[in-house]
Amino acid sequence: MLETGLIFRALMRNKMGAILIALQIALTMAIMVNAIFMIQDRQQQMKRPSGIDENNTFYLTNTVFAQDHNFQAELQTDLNTLRKTPGIVDAIQINAIPLSGGGWSMSLQHEPGEDKDAIGSALYMVDEHGINTMGLNLIAGENFSQEDIQWRGQGQSTWPPKTIITKAFAAQLFPDDWQTAIGKTFYISQTQPMQIIGIVEALQAPWNGWDGVERSMLVPFQMESSSSYYFIRTEPGKRDKMMPIIEKVLAESNKGRIIRRITTVEDTRKRSYRQHNATNKILTTVVATLTLITSFGIVGLAIFSINRRTKQIGTRRALGATRWQIMRYFMVENFLISTVGVFIGSIGAIGLNMWLVSTFNLTPISFELILFGIVALLIVGQLAVLYPARKAALIAPATATRTI
Amino acid sequence: MLVMKNVNKIFQTADIQTHALRDFSLTVNEGDFLSVTGPSGSGKTTFLNIAGLLETYTNGDFLLDGEDVGKLNDKGRSRMRNEKIGFIFQGFNLIPDLNLYDNVDVPLRYRGFNAKERKRRIIENLDRVGLASRLKHLPSQLSGGQQQRVAIARALATDPRFLLADEPTGNLDSEMAQGVMSLLEEINQQGTTIIMVTHDATLAKRARRQVQVKDGRVSELDLVNHRAIA
Ligand SMILES: Nc1ncnc2c1ncn2[C@@H]1O[C@H](COP(=O)(O)OP(=O)(O)OP(=O)(O)O)[C@@H](O)[C@H]1O
Ligand SMILES: [Mg+2]
Repeated sequence: MLETGLIFRALMRNKMGAILIALQIALTMAIMVNAIFMIQDRQQQMKRPSGIDENNTFYLTNTVFAQDHNFQAELQTDLNTLRKTPGIVDAIQINAIPLSGGGWSMSLQHEPGEDKDAIGSALYMVDEHGINTMGLNLIAGENFSQEDIQWRGQGQSTWPPKTIITKAFAAQLFPDDWQTAIGKTFYISQTQPMQIIGIVEALQAPWNGWDGVERSMLVPFQMESSSSYYFIRTEPGKRDKMMPIIEKVLAESNKGRIIRRITTVEDTRKRSYRQHNATNKILTTVVATLTLITSFGIVGLAIFSINRRTKQIGTRRALGATRWQIMRYFMVENFLISTVGVFIGSIGAIGLNMWLVSTFNLTPISFELILFGIVALLIVGQLAVLYPARKAALIAPATATRTI
Repeated sequence: MLVMKNVNKIFQTADIQTHALRDFSLTVNEGDFLSVTGPSGSGKTTFLNIAGLLETYTNGDFLLDGEDVGKLNDKGRSRMRNEKIGFIFQGFNLIPDLNLYDNVDVPLRYRGFNAKERKRRIIENLDRVGLASRLKHLPSQLSGGQQQRVAIARALATDPRFLLADEPTGNLDSEMAQGVMSLLEEINQQGTTIIMVTHDATLAKRARRQVQVKDGRVSELDLVNHRAIA
């Protein structure tokens, strides 16, 4: 028979400690739930695929310093060399690297002219090997052909007439049916027409914090530029072996340039999300520390109240309480305190979340997470009180007559 | 009936052994009112604690209501305490955070009676000790004598066969002590077996039967002898 009523009434006569612990539980819950929410949000961001074959790709910076450099001829030589090297699947020149933090963006608009609604997108300049080199998945339309590729001079402001865009970008341009984007013409730089000839499943922009991170477009350009990236895809498992080889081959083939910053896409992703990971670690530590402190508080209060009530516990045993009934007393007591705590905590969690939503533009917290917080803290409470309750259960019945 | 035969209790602490009971043999019959006297440290409380299943004994035989107490585990002893034994303590041992009603309720909850049955027993027993009008009072709002009456009501609420009292009047002035003693006599007349440890010779004499504990051994005093010694 549960003596919840008696426990509650006894608790009401010693409110102070219980209230403090309940408030501590409430605070822990409010912070815990929101921290977990933020952690999950970051984790989800980090889980988004870049669209690239990340395990088998790397890139390097090719910087030319020779005066009389033939950009077009040298690029073709380099790409031919790379593409023929055993262990290499394909290679391209590119202007920017997804998730690297730096790149280009342009906007497409349905109609030409100023003051028309335009949607921004990351822009990658590649040739017809772009899709294969990055390992993108072409889900509609077609790839560029060799004839589509144009040379882009330094500072040139005209654009080729074709583009391949990501599904997310297509869905933004055509909210009803992204597939209808194929064949449609849009305008870049306000007035220059550009036809969408293909759609790839995914390709992230260079900026992971941008809300348009899934919107990218490929344009068929090769750059006459003194500095550009070479992006290289190796056969599965050969990336690490090929990186020094490629570096050496390129460096030795042409003395008029330097090869720098040879980097894997994997590392780029890691660096890109370093802040996310650090923040998540801090938040996890905060949650763990708070939970631990709250557990200690619960243990402390329970031990204090048990020491104060030693004789009472002995008397209860003398009146016929079993060890389990004594243990249960303190577990029920803790449950009552924790219930008040998580109730206030739920309100606090929602309040804190509402503030975060309005201040930092986060999405509202889910009901499941609140429920998780409630259950987690009730369990933490029960676990924390287990040891003191066990101690109480072991108080000898003779304490009733042996102590004054 | 309570039967102890050659019960020994040895307290073992780090370096000392205390032989608190030595070959302690005693039979208490149904309906007895037994008073236990003896010098301090002689083993009276030890005897009462063992009789009331608060403590275990080192060896010997102990039957309570025909049941071999030595064979019971902690849970069995708890249940037996709850069903067959009522305790009264020198310090009353009421739960300070609970009012009178809830105090008497405590052993009834452990028994698992339903709410209606508990209420009936609480009212009935508080009425029996003359405190039915103060259900909502806290122990601290009562005099010592009244508190001990509440403790008696609590002890009786489970209808125990035995009422064990360790110095029940030790903390009371003589007037209140008389009142509590009269109440115990009345309860005994209604059929409850009572074992009472006391230092008060006059109160001890009012019991139907008196034993003395000395150095962990029990000796019977009949009224005539006792008077002679006194
Ligand atoms: N838990 C214990 N550990 C060790 N020795 C104990 C313990 N309890 C009692 N004793 C010893 O057992 C002996 C008997 O003690 P007991 O409490 O039964 O005496 P008592 O007759 O009730 O004395 P008093 O009249 O002072 O209450 C004493 O020597 C006491 O010191
Ligand atoms: Mg004693």
